Amino acid sequence: MSGQRRAWGWATALRGGDTTPWQDWLDRADGDGSPFASTVPGAQQLGLLRRLNVAAAAEGRKVPEAIADRVLSASVSGRGRGDLPLIGEDTPDRFGLRPVDPDALPEDELIRVAAGLIADDVAATAAFPEPERSLVERAREVRRPWVKSFVIVGAQWRADAVRAGLVAQGHRPGGRRPTAYLLADDLGTVLAQAWTARAFDQGGPQWPDFLNGFASAGHLPPRADLPRMARSASHKYGADRVAVVLDSAALAAELGVRHLVQPPRLGAHAVDLVRRVGEPLGLLVAPDRRPHLLRTTLGERLDGLGGPDLTVPRRWETWLGTQAERTRHEIAAAGYPVLGDLDRLLPGPLAQSPVLPVDGEVLALALGLLLDPVVPPLKEAS
Amino acid sequence: MSQRVLLHVGTPKTGTSYLQDVLFRNRARLLKQGVNYPAERFDEHFLAALDLMRLRWGGLEQEAVGAWDQLAANVRAHPGTSIISHEILATASRTQVARALASLGHKDDGTGTEVHLIVSARDLVRQIPAEWQENVKHRAAFGFSRFLRLIHDPERSHRVGAWFWGVQEVPDILARWGASIPPERIHIVTVPRPGGARDVLWQRFSTAFGLDGLDLELGTERANPSLGVPESALIRRINRVAAVDLPPVHYRPLVRELLAHRTLSKRTDSPRLGLPPDQYPWIAELTEDWIAELTSKGYDVVGDLADLRGDEPVAEKWSNPDRPNERQVSAAALDAVKALLVEAAERQVENDRLRARLEEARRELIRARTPRLMRSMEWTVQKLEGSEQGRKALGAYRMARGRNSRSA
Repeated sequence: MSGQRRAWGWATALRGGDTTPWQDWLDRADGDGSPFASTVPGAQQLGLLRRLNVAAAAEGRKVPEAIADRVLSASVSGRGRGDLPLIGEDTPDRFGLRPVDPDALPEDELIRVAAGLIADDVAATAAFPEPERSLVERAREVRRPWVKSFVIVGAQWRADAVRAGLVAQGHRPGGRRPTAYLLADDLGTVLAQAWTARAFDQGGPQWPDFLNGFASAGHLPPRADLPRMARSASHKYGADRVAVVLDSAALAAELGVRHLVQPPRLGAHAVDLVRRVGEPLGLLVAPDRRPHLLRTTLGERLDGLGGPDLTVPRRWETWLGTQAERTRHEIAAAGYPVLGDLDRLLPGPLAQSPVLPVDGEVLALALGLLLDPVVPPLKEAS
Repeated sequence: MSQRVLLHVGTPKTGTSYLQDVLFRNRARLLKQGVNYPAERFDEHFLAALDLMRLRWGGLEQEAVGAWDQLAANVRAHPGTSIISHEILATASRTQVARALASLGHKDDGTGTEVHLIVSARDLVRQIPAEWQENVKHRAAFGFSRFLRLIHDPERSHRVGAWFWGVQEVPDILARWGASIPPERIHIVTVPRPGGARDVLWQRFSTAFGLDGLDLELGTERANPSLGVPESALIRRINRVAAVDLPPVHYRPLVRELLAHRTLSKRTDSPRLGLPPDQYPWIAELTEDWIAELTSKGYDVVGDLADLRGDEPVAEKWSNPDRPNERQVSAAALDAVKALLVEAAERQVENDRLRARLEEARRELIRARTPRLMRSMEWTVQKLEGSEQGRKALGAYRMARGRNSRSA
């Protein structure tokens, strides 16, 4: 038996939708195959394709051959090990990476391949122009002269969505001497929003590393530092024109709208997938296009998916509590009007088991996006 | 289509910065002599490598979108010889290598562009501490002993170990990059052993790249200077306390360039970084395996594979960067503080100068926007305020007008 031919046989079978694990394939009498490319695909690519076949089979579907070929010819994105050789191939090379069983690989290795492919799909949507807004939509967005002058500030992830929702209702921010409404929430939530915004914006560290970095430095990330945002708004618009919002309904009533639009609800695993896709995407599109592209593709596709919302692990409870107290104290001391209860800034008791991104769940979401890739809006319409 | 491509894919810390600087500064001269070094900016091949391998690099990758395809198109458009050189290409996977070679016009059956693969290599005794130091200059906060543990992991499951061997394991780099290239077109340039003549390495590069006899301007200073033990320890401590507050766009000029390269690398009297003596046996054994493998493959060697046998470290001279001499670290820290103060002062001067220019521009803008009549009135008021009689006349005018015109 030639290990190389056996690997080609498995790769060929996977292209056809097979779900046999590599170790079982090694035992098959009819397992040899012929090369269909210059080198045997890496263990990560083969492992990912097998998982994709399993996911498709569970839905009674088959992975199209074009998608299978994309997976097999993909690169492993980002830092870490390159294409890994398969265990059981001929005499392994004396140098280079050690051969592995693709079915025993950490899910993170498979996500690295999947993230690169999803990034390609997201980048492809950039080539298509945005669908033009209808006349009605444009008319709706015109600022009504009788609407109160205001601006929305705060954690970017939420503020962007609220702003867009208000614009769609004819409440375009701006006007003469506007009031700046600072959207606030309990600090754990604001931190999760800051990490989410960063995932869409520039990627960055994992959730625990993100918390650990700022906790070690002894301060909040700028995107979650509410007193700093309030000070910045007071410099820009005047100290008497900043209000802190801890009750969305109160702000909606003050602005004369029925409700405030909230951002898409992405669970912990979904945000982590966006973060990972953003990394290779940064090499495919200009940086200023990345957040918008991710929001309009993955943000919409993953809305409501990805498990529960992120939470802060208890390890950082003391730091979180201290920072929340400081936030509350500084905002209260500055005397900004508050819509809602300022105590809402303080986080409640943290759960015994925190909600953190889990690679297996992130991979499951990625498999869904490989089976049904994001497509440009125009294509979808046609 | 390009006839010949000299593709230099590594390894880091082998004099590549100097080579690339000579090539970049002489690119116009080279082109006149038929050799294309396609680069509009010094780091163009670095950006192309980031693009090819989809690597993040502290935000620099944002400038790399499409850089490999542009570089490859430039190479294909040149009918003669082209040179591509960047050391991080060493870590490319087989898939990425296949894409890179195909984009340069290489064909597995040998009918395409004649690609020559060049790898410069230095002994691991010097490479291992140099790579840890490079990590430290890129924000790493882990110690040397942890680095050694990570590169000793046979699975290379941590990104540090994967990266180190990805860019340093010469037999594997050549296997990945050279799978479809005949061995006679694969050239290994060895870095001379410590204490050799300084220009030997350049002569070897010149031979490997076919630059002998070409009219080139050498003598540039660009290099990747190294740090001593206390200086490396200091940067690591700075990383631990400040890296999170310094985005890459600020870390690079302040810590890497100002502190590490321009300040601390000048402290050459401190103990030098070196391989711990207890690590030498396995490194020596591995090196012998490498030499045997590289010899058996029949690659062209410019220099001597024996150069890869590093000198055995002397236990009495070795200094542990994880437990540095605190007096030496303090002295290095003082130099660092001084450099930062001078830099801050220079920036303040520059800020003041720019602020004055901004104010001047603002005044000119106001002047340009002020109507001529208003300017005449201001001129008249200024003139009148300059003499006793004028001030009296102005006072009378203001009294008659009923209010102070200056506040109007």
